[in-house]
Amino acid sequence: MSVKQEDQLKEKILNVARKNPKGISHKDITAAIPDISSAELVTAINELLQQEYFDLFNQNGALLYRLKTQVNKQAVKGADNEEKVVFNLIEEAGNKGIWIREIRIRSNLANTQLTKVLKSLESKKLIKAVKCVNASKKKVYMLYNLEPDRSISGGAWYQDQDFESEFVDILNVQCLRFLNQRSDKIKNNPRGPIVGRTQSYATASEVQKYITDLGISKVQLDVEDVITILNTLVYDGKAESSVYPDGSKVYRSIDPLIPAPGLVQVPCGVCPLVHKCSTTGLITPQECTYMTEWLE
Amino acid sequence: MSHQLGRVVSIILHRYFGDIVQTVGDDLFKCGSKPIGMIVKTTGLSRGLVIESLRTLLKYDIAAFEPSVNQLIAEYKLVPENVLLLIRYPRYLLQVKSKYGSEAELLIEELLQQATCTATVLLVTIATKYKDDKEKNITIMSLKDMFISLATAGYIQQAPVAELKEGSEIPTLVPVATIVPDLDTRILLQVMNAGNFNDVKDNIYWKVNYDRFHQDFRDELMIKAITRRIDENAGELMRFLLEQMYLNSPAWAPESNPVSALDVRDRCRRAATDKPLLQQYVDQYLKVLEESGGGFVRRCGDASGGQFCVRARAAALQLVRAALDHLVTERLGSKAARIFRLIRTKKYIEEEDIQKNAMLVNKECKQLTYKLLEEHFISCQPMRKAATAGGMAKAIYLYHIKLHEVAHTAREMCYRSLHNVSRRALHERTLHARLVDKQKRVRTIVHGMRLRGEPQENIDDVEETLTPPEQAVLQGVEKRLKQLSTAELELDKNLFIFNWYFTYPET
Ligand code: SF4
Repeated sequence: MSVKQEDQLKEKILNVARKNPKGISHKDITAAIPDISSAELVTAINELLQQEYFDLFNQNGALLYRLKTQVNKQAVKGADNEEKVVFNLIEEAGNKGIWIREIRIRSNLANTQLTKVLKSLESKKLIKAVKCVNASKKKVYMLYNLEPDRSISGGAWYQDQDFESEFVDILNVQCLRFLNQRSDKIKNNPRGPIVGRTQSYATASEVQKYITDLGISKVQLDVEDVITILNTLVYDGKAESSVYPDGSKVYRSIDPLIPAPGLVQVPCGVCPLVHKCSTTGLITPQECTYMTEWLE
Repeated sequence: MSHQLGRVVSIILHRYFGDIVQTVGDDLFKCGSKPIGMIVKTTGLSRGLVIESLRTLLKYDIAAFEPSVNQLIAEYKLVPENVLLLIRYPRYLLQVKSKYGSEAELLIEELLQQATCTATVLLVTIATKYKDDKEKNITIMSLKDMFISLATAGYIQQAPVAELKEGSEIPTLVPVATIVPDLDTRILLQVMNAGNFNDVKDNIYWKVNYDRFHQDFRDELMIKAITRRIDENAGELMRFLLEQMYLNSPAWAPESNPVSALDVRDRCRRAATDKPLLQQYVDQYLKVLEESGGGFVRRCGDASGGQFCVRARAAALQLVRAALDHLVTERLGSKAARIFRLIRTKKYIEEEDIQKNAMLVNKECKQLTYKLLEEHFISCQPMRKAATAGGMAKAIYLYHIKLHEVAHTAREMCYRSLHNVSRRALHERTLHARLVDKQKRVRTIVHGMRLRGEPQENIDDVEETLTPPEQAVLQGVEKRLKQLSTAELELDKNLFIFNWYFTYPET
């Protein structure tokens, strides 16, 4: 197994452990990462134990691994003072990360020295540099084992800093389809319009379930993600949102208040030359080809 | 008054009254108001022609006059809004026909043509015209009844009368309150049989009350919108609320006086057979209408089972927004419309937040925002942040929408399109004038021959003077003209929404 694969595996195990702060057993790991052989698992775990990521417990005869909270402090043991200072600054920043400029100002280290320290910490896999989605040239540092915050990674919509607009478009269409399925419930509902309206509403979590069941998303979308998509529908004028008494957001699809008005039914309303068109000259309504086509 | 309005007004005047009236109208449009002498000078037309044109314009309420400063001569000015009403005539007819039937349509049609006219003349003219038409079966009695209904409902009103004020040579038109007339059928019949109006004493003049029709159009818009948003029952409820509104508020009030839910419930009970669900769930419908009805209705009190206000102004605002949404979507695409709506929802928003909320690729989002800016759909306001340490002060740009201005731009666009469509129609007509003339002539000849009972062969011979290719061309022209006039009507409907919105001052 290559070093890279090994690292990936370790990262996966750590992820599982992070989700279960009470500790994980062998079984939990194999359940979460089914394609792992037991030999691989053992080496990985041993290494992690060596690097002091885990505490070992014995619970009812089963071994439990629990993530150490203080891992990092110990990891910098033996490092020099500069490293410690920088490390602490980065740790403080949490999963939002910290900008190199700021580290420099706050640590009072010279540029060259700071770069060196950062390099060394990086090579020890204590910290990592993450590219920021909204400013492609900006890099922030954070602890190695942290998931970058949404504002940094962009969340589910980003793949290596690239915004996946097609993915968003597909989800937008699917969410609308789901809302459309029930939008007619409000019309002439025999149980009254209030029941009807409630039936035509969909909560964000219902939509989330629908999207998950469709299996179109490779990443797990949480309710917040789905709300973001549903809001684009609201801005598209295709849905309206409301809030239930319990605070959950609900959506229903709507039609615009008026059908396409006269202005957009004639070519002039959509014509790119509309401000250049006049009674005489090169562009005139008499000779206009848009009109001619429209009148065909 | 804008250049675009001037263009469209000019072309409409040309269509309905010919080029002399058009010249006079253009002149008046440009100068605001001026006396006859000045019109003669600038247009270079003879005095007689100018007077003739002004007479036509005044008759149809398209121009008005007022005494000049010295009170000795009259100054004339154009009323462009009323010029635009000329293309709305078919809509008035349709409206009155669907509400009151074809007799009412005949009455309004004749009255629109005459501009002003006494009841006797109007009724007798129509009755005489259809005397021999057995199919329609129109009698002067039924016409009279219809006239009274229309007057009662306010679709027709008494024309203002001219009065001479002291110290002035120029009469002013004073509006009079309409009194529903008591017409004597016997006299009407006498006049009809006599065949002339010589000894008629009727001197009350009538004209069509456009405003009453416009109220109908507005109501229809509101009801349709609610029907689209909720359902027919809610639409019907909206209608009832509007009915109640007319009883206690001025017709164009931005917000009506409170309407009691009790009255509405009463009204629903009477409509129970038609709309059983509405009757059963009135209160629920009121609630849904209030919450999900685009803000057309507001609950303004709890006395006697709830009080509701009809918010015509809010409705106009919503409809203008909807129209603009359509416009942005069609011009710049749905993604741009998303940004447009987003900015409207957030009122003021930074570029970065637009991208985040609209979920668009950075570059695309920026491009669309600038496009919107370029077409004046949105505005941008730079804000200097208080200078922070290190001279990092960066201006942030807040995007927002000045709805009044955007609506204004859109209305200009409507005028422009209306002009273009009319212009194109004119062009089509002149291009094929010879052929259309020929067709007309053939038709009259054939009609005459049929009446005289000439043999079919001869008729066929005449008809065949129009060759098949000519027929094909004519059909094409007809189709195009029809499409163009439908477009005109639709544009006019669109303008109606904008103008309704502009009746309320900007807040
Ligand atoms: S007439 Fe033709 S060129 Fe002029 S605005 Fe209309 S579509 Fe555009």
